[in-house]
Amino acid sequence: MDTLARIKDLATKELSLEPGKIDPNAPLADVGVDSLSFIEFMFKVEDEFGVKVSDEDLRKIKCLADLERHIAASLPAAGKA
Amino acid sequence: MPVRRVAVTGLGVVSALGNNLADFHRALAEGRSGVRLLPEDVTLGSGVQVGALAAWDPAAHFKGPEAAALDRVSQFALTAAGEALAASGLVGAQPAAAERDRIGVCWGTGMGGAQTLDGAYQSVYGRSDFRLRPLSVVMAMNNAAGSNVAMKWGLRGPFANFSTACSSSAMAIGEAMHAIRAGRADAMVAGGAEALLTPGMLAAWQALRTLSPRDANDAAASCKPFDLRRGGLVLGEGAAALVLEEEGHARARGATIHAFITGYGNTCDATHMSKPDRDGQVRAMAQALAGSGLAPDAIGYINAHGTATIVGDVVECEAIKAVFGDAALRIPVSSTKSMHGHLLGGAGAIEMLAALMPFTEGVIPPTANLEQPDPACAVRHVPLKAERGEIPRAVMSNSFAFGGSNVVLIAQRA
Repeated sequence: MDTLARIKDLATKELSLEPGKIDPNAPLADVGVDSLSFIEFMFKVEDEFGVKVSDEDLRKIKCLADLERHIAASLPAAGKA
Repeated sequence: MPVRRVAVTGLGVVSALGNNLADFHRALAEGRSGVRLLPEDVTLGSGVQVGALAAWDPAAHFKGPEAAALDRVSQFALTAAGEALAASGLVGAQPAAAERDRIGVCWGTGMGGAQTLDGAYQSVYGRSDFRLRPLSVVMAMNNAAGSNVAMKWGLRGPFANFSTACSSSAMAIGEAMHAIRAGRADAMVAGGAEALLTPGMLAAWQALRTLSPRDANDAAASCKPFDLRRGGLVLGEGAAALVLEEEGHARARGATIHAFITGYGNTCDATHMSKPDRDGQVRAMAQALAGSGLAPDAIGYINAHGTATIVGDVVECEAIKAVFGDAALRIPVSSTKSMHGHLLGGAGAIEMLAALMPFTEGVIPPTANLEQPDPACAVRHVPLKAERGEIPRAVMSNSFAFGGSNVVLIAQRA
């Protein structure tokens, strides 16, 4: 499964977003994800991908596509396969 | 201005005796205990052997990620409050915002989200990585259970959370009664919850040397209030909720009225953190009677605090005798902690449900395991078996807490 598919999968489970209707570019705030749900979701993302997201980076992530780019940049080259 | 009367229109419960009111009533009427040996993963090295653990499957009550965002104590609270609200019919009619502004929540808990806190500490101490779930604070905080109840049903009226150890939820009921009487609310969800059967909390309780060891022959018989063989309290968990409602409001919508809450005594010993004080208990009972406008002999059942500690049971019986005089030898007294365990912050509420049983079930629940009454506890006991008889005019429930807080509630027949 590629990174975005895994993110979508996690978002379906943790944020109760409807699978198949997830727009990676939609601001999470616009699809009913509040700040508390978002940071709890990011805690699970860190576990899932084995990455750490700094407070500064966290503030830049507004949608799932932002998150995918952040993870891709954080993972070592081998992890991108 | 006439006093606004406060009716009880809904009840709900989660406990070791079952996760609904019918199971709870049945067990108490049968004198059946929910105390059992605690599993190893709950006790770890704490040395505690028995407890009244609820048979609880979060997935049976909550969907998907909802349960994961709720501490066990909030899960209990929501389930008990949900049963009480459904039974009352108060929120079934989808009340409008203006109506919900007149419905509030008074909740009680001793240790709040103990499981979240204990789990968090377990996961970080001794490790270099202090990484915790972002929801840790809002799951563990003491007011989370009550706030979850308010949020779930959009109850936007007065809100308060009481944390006075074993009297917390009795205080919540008493203060909810006052909120309705004072005209600040038309209805209140009042109750309490506790879920502190965790290794760390059990170790702390064990250190107090106030817990009963397991009964050598029957773990279920480990809690023996008023009995010569009593060896201390047995911790329990669960929640209980009452829907309290101004009488006219309840009658206007044709709600069933189970009883009226008419008396609330609240005093502090101000003497000692854990030693019970007869005088403080006497003043609380007298206050509740005076507030009800009842003579002592109008009380037809007392649900005692009765924790089964060596000192506590004697002091409470002395206090009852001081307040009721000769009537103390006639008024049935029982401690249902012998069956549902000590719910601490949830004790006052769950015992109010037991105290109401003469009205709701036509039954006075017994003190289980009371086979050898201590002569120093000379009140009129209800040993082993429930009693059926004339429905009393009024009942009393006692809750006496660490910290010296004494709360006494009186309910009257509808």
